[in-house]
Amino acid sequence: MIGLFTKQQATAERELDPQLAHLTGEAAKLHVKHPAAQQGVPPIPLWQKVPSQPGEAAHQDYYRLPLLKEPVWIWSVPAYFYLGGVAGGSALLATLAHGKRGLKKLASLCRGLAFAGTTVGPALLTYDLGRMGRFLNMLRVFRPSSPMSVGSWSLAGSGALATLALIQGDRPAAKPTTRALAGGGLVVSGYTGVLLGNSANPLWQGTRLTLPLLFTASAIASTSALLELFTLNRQEERVVRRFGTIGKIAEAGSMALFELEAAQNPEAARALNRSKAGVLWNGAKGFLVAGIAVSLLPGHSVGKRRAAGTLTTIGALCLRFGLLEAGKEAVRDPQAVIKAQRKGDGR
Amino acid sequence: MEPHGFFTDTSVCIGCKACEVACKQWNQLPADGAYFSGRSYDNTMHLESTTWRHVAFLERSRQLSGQTTARPFSWLFLSDVCKHCNRAGCLEACPTGALVRTEFASVYLQPDVCNGCGYCVVACPFGVINRREDDGRAWKCTLCYDRQKVGLEPACAKTCPTDSIFFGPVGELQVRAQARLLELHRKGVHEARLYGMTELDQPGTEGLNAFFLLLDRPEAYNLPPEPRVPTKEVGRAWGMMGLAAAGMVAAAIAAVRAGGEK
Repeated sequence: MIGLFTKQQATAERELDPQLAHLTGEAAKLHVKHPAAQQGVPPIPLWQKVPSQPGEAAHQDYYRLPLLKEPVWIWSVPAYFYLGGVAGGSALLATLAHGKRGLKKLASLCRGLAFAGTTVGPALLTYDLGRMGRFLNMLRVFRPSSPMSVGSWSLAGSGALATLALIQGDRPAAKPTTRALAGGGLVVSGYTGVLLGNSANPLWQGTRLTLPLLFTASAIASTSALLELFTLNRQEERVVRRFGTIGKIAEAGSMALFELEAAQNPEAARALNRSKAGVLWNGAKGFLVAGIAVSLLPGHSVGKRRAAGTLTTIGALCLRFGLLEAGKEAVRDPQAVIKAQRKGDGR
Repeated sequence: MEPHGFFTDTSVCIGCKACEVACKQWNQLPADGAYFSGRSYDNTMHLESTTWRHVAFLERSRQLSGQTTARPFSWLFLSDVCKHCNRAGCLEACPTGALVRTEFASVYLQPDVCNGCGYCVVACPFGVINRREDDGRAWKCTLCYDRQKVGLEPACAKTCPTDSIFFGPVGELQVRAQARLLELHRKGVHEARLYGMTELDQPGTEGLNAFFLLLDRPEAYNLPPEPRVPTKEVGRAWGMMGLAAAGMVAAAIAAVRAGGEK
């Protein structure tokens, strides 16, 4: 009975009789759970009103259909981008605060955050995989040409080191562990920018120089914003405030630089102000400015710190989700790919 | 083994879609559903995880040079396929090693290794490869690796009634393509051009193992005019990351100093 069921499932949508034909083709093991509807469902969603004739000389493309494929990543990937940034920033602070008497609580909190980030992070990434059971294949080879491979190894290494650091606590012997962890953390918080830049996506490829800056700056801001939500002593508060001030200024600066770099491809840059991507990207800007404004208010109340931390955290999340959505939005316009490639080409 | 590939000569393509059908049949790919797109006879619209050959249809209200028609009209077809680039974006991005270069110089995806991370989807400058959501893995043209291993030509080339899709050693294909281009130019079809044949034609991919003869600009067929493999430009991005990391260390040191105690 079970055999019959799997046979039917395997031949789904292939119109072949398993009695007469063997399923041995290259795509025989391609599982079809949701057969294509028999009618009425377009194979690709149509984002624009499309002419029934292909574009003429002035506006050449193929029925304005997307030239590239949209990124397939789901919410868990930008959520990881955020968590990875926090883990990286915390790893660095944990190292520098290690063994300093007044910063004991901060150091232990940062070790905890680094551990949480490097363990929950891979879980989020696994959740996005099409075949979750094969997540260990990420460590099957090392491909330096792939930022994702570099990132997987750094994340795995940082996870191991963060676990070790958490066990060792603030013992002096833990110094080498935290140092190595800080190194891994720096890669984890920045490589995601390189990962997006290393793509054919017109927006991400066009901003590959500022994306690593943006991710690293936002990692500083997100780490300090999250730390602002915890109760710390006055000395530690000063550390977090200074780290956060630098981070927020750097994030605002990188966002401005990012927009400048993106503007070199106006068709792709338009994605930053369109639909869901526009809401998220402009939300990121708004929440960051609000976070800076609140932290500039006079006084040192707990409420003020928490409000600034919350606003900056929301901004940092909007930034990661906005970048993914903008990447999806950018490929919906084929001219974003074509015009950028035609620039400076006289043919 | 010598590199093998396709030379797709669009000037003799008749848009019969036999290649699409042969590919589906041989590889036992599932159907994509019946849908009328309203875009000439192109109801497939793009290459997909389950569509490894796609015929593009261009109905234009102008003639090809050297052509005589009752009214300005020309109808162009192109059978699109994975280009099996010499520098392949998907292959260089794949973190699991599922995508490999075969002994025939084609780019092959091992379905038993792929974990569906989706990085190849954004790394391909042609928009060829995609993840099939209900299967979970990425899929694309294998250049009929199974047929090549036993000395057969790929299903699409075998079935093509006009030899628009021509399969063979890449060196021989290049000679054939050059001769065909000269012949067309001699006949007055000045629009004819080769797409991605050598590294000189397309430095961004260092040449394609499946290249084309086109009768219009590449973007008219939804091909990128100057594709570049992302990894060719990513060096400076790593440099920026190093710079940013140095800045982050400086920020953290400054912050801890602000704590007062040394």
